Amino acid sequence: MSKHLLEVKDLRTYFYTDKGVVKAVDGVNFHVDEGKTLCIVGESGCGKSITSMSVMRLIQEPGKIESGQILYQGNDLLDLSDEEMRNIRGNEISMIFQEPMTSLNPVFTIGYQIMETLMLHQKLSKKDAKKKAIEMLQLVQIPRAEKIVDEYPHQLSGGMRQRVMIAMALACMPKVLIADEPTTALDVTIQAQILNLMNDLKQRLNTAIMLITHDLGVVAEMADYVVVMYAGKVVEEGPVKELFANPKHPYTIGLLNSKPNLKEDKDRLDSIPGMVPNPTDLPKGCYFWPRCKYATDLCKQRQPELKKVDSNHQVSCFVASGEVESSAK
Amino acid sequence: MQNKPLLEVKNLKKYFPIYQGFIRKKVGDVKAVDNISFNLYEGETLSLVGESGCGKSTTGRTILRLLEPTSGEVYYKGKDVFNASKKEMLELRRDMQIIFQDPYSSLNPRMSVGATVGEALVQHKMYKKGKELDDRIREIVKICGLADYHINRYPHEFSGGQRQRIGIARALALNPSFIVADEPVSALDVSIQAQIINLLMELQEKMKLSYLFISHDLSVVKHISDRVGVMYLGSLVELADKKDLYDDPKHPYTQALLSAIPIPDPTVKKERILLRGDIPSPANPPKGCKFHTRCPYAKDICKQQVPEFRNLGTDGSNHFVACHFAK
Repeated sequence: MSKHLLEVKDLRTYFYTDKGVVKAVDGVNFHVDEGKTLCIVGESGCGKSITSMSVMRLIQEPGKIESGQILYQGNDLLDLSDEEMRNIRGNEISMIFQEPMTSLNPVFTIGYQIMETLMLHQKLSKKDAKKKAIEMLQLVQIPRAEKIVDEYPHQLSGGMRQRVMIAMALACMPKVLIADEPTTALDVTIQAQILNLMNDLKQRLNTAIMLITHDLGVVAEMADYVVVMYAGKVVEEGPVKELFANPKHPYTIGLLNSKPNLKEDKDRLDSIPGMVPNPTDLPKGCYFWPRCKYATDLCKQRQPELKKVDSNHQVSCFVASGEVESSAK
Repeated sequence: MQNKPLLEVKNLKKYFPIYQGFIRKKVGDVKAVDNISFNLYEGETLSLVGESGCGKSTTGRTILRLLEPTSGEVYYKGKDVFNASKKEMLELRRDMQIIFQDPYSSLNPRMSVGATVGEALVQHKMYKKGKELDDRIREIVKICGLADYHINRYPHEFSGGQRQRIGIARALALNPSFIVADEPVSALDVSIQAQIINLLMELQEKMKLSYLFISHDLSVVKHISDRVGVMYLGSLVELADKKDLYDDPKHPYTQALLSAIPIPDPTVKKERILLRGDIPSPANPPKGCKFHTRCPYAKDICKQQVPEFRNLGTDGSNHFVACHFAK
């Protein structure tokens, strides 16, 4: 097996709230390879963003990374001191956040915000850093880069700001790029531009991308490998083509069917009944059973584990992995 | 199709003035809705799609007179909405309702579900407080997929999908025949989205509703609509039956918009029309065809002449396009 660039092993991030412990990320495993895109899919509250924040070690009180390993080129990021971690952040691993409106600092110019990482990590002089910042802006196809570099975030549109975020994240040529819903706040035509740009950069710079999203269309377009999360756990994972052609977990199937499709017409959408369970009060057994039409008695008592159904395709469901027969069809 | 439109919109305009300086001098207008016309027939769903800032929500709100129009006419069942008196307007409002986008901010946090749903019933003097009102509230809430015990609860106790159900119940309480649904599912997760869309379609059948459905999600629109209008910078650029529009989009903007949607199928690798740049500011829209700055086919004529909204439909169908070169 080839060495993975970033490997997350049995990651658990818990939040200690007044109402009880929220297991936001509960034993998650995955890895990202060079030049590949890993997509983490799930609905709000499934722990996908917390997973990415954990990798960057950005979890704040009352949250805590309880256990697990985050191996970057073989070293565990959780063992590093704060200072060592700062050298990794933005330099080796960087992140694009969901909201381009709120993740830029309104009182600094675009140029300064890009230059900051360059001067800090690469020890560039102010002049060189500015030159590099303009280069980065050109790389993400911002017109009039020499002018924009001195402008403030409020002078730019949403799509432009997201591009600035990407320029900033890529400034130090990181090996891993984490993108947390990078296009959710954008319009479709702008989304198409940004996704195109990310794919282009991946090919050119051989960056590994970890993309967090809830949009299965985006997943199909971008991913090489997909991880589906539900209530803090991975319920299914596999290569993108395999997963879309042959989804096994009832939740994945439900997600795929509940999205209206441009190609075929349906009278009624198949929806998943009920809603995501309250994280402080999770059901016993499989977290998905109250919404699952295949649920058996075993599902209500024991929690399924990820089992291989194919060489590269894993699913955590008793019914799908054939351990128990379901009465429902 | 049906002959008599339920709602007629003619040359609707809504400008928001821009004031500047010490004496608040008017320096221009944001042309949010700039001269649009369409009809909506009974029992149908007409969708308005477009990107943020194209004026689709403003259109919906202006039709209901939640915003006062700059000019234009709207007729609902033959009645002039913009010139209706206060009393007439009250009656019209009973028949025209709206569902808002954000289920988190469109409900009053201090009012229980029952009070929210029942308020309009009392206000319009259709029911007096008492058992009858309670029964009616219970009935509506049940139709919208909520349970009896939810009636005394407050919005913060509900999830996004349930809150949207409350919003729908509030709109349906007066038994309207026309509903403006302003991005009712955009704030919801996919699995919940499907539930709400199914609910809206069921209700339409059961209660003979007509929807003006406003959305930016073209796959949702394709699922729910009968006809679709595409807006760009305050104007309609294309309006056609759903099938015609999706199978044979004629306006370059519609084509680009459709090709930009990611398809949830990794085996499909499609050619994508990438638009350059961003939407221009509606305060200072380009001259001629508003789309010419981003259009891959733009010629000189597009920069000077505003294209006419022509009907290109063959054998009796209606397919309106505003483009000099569309065929």
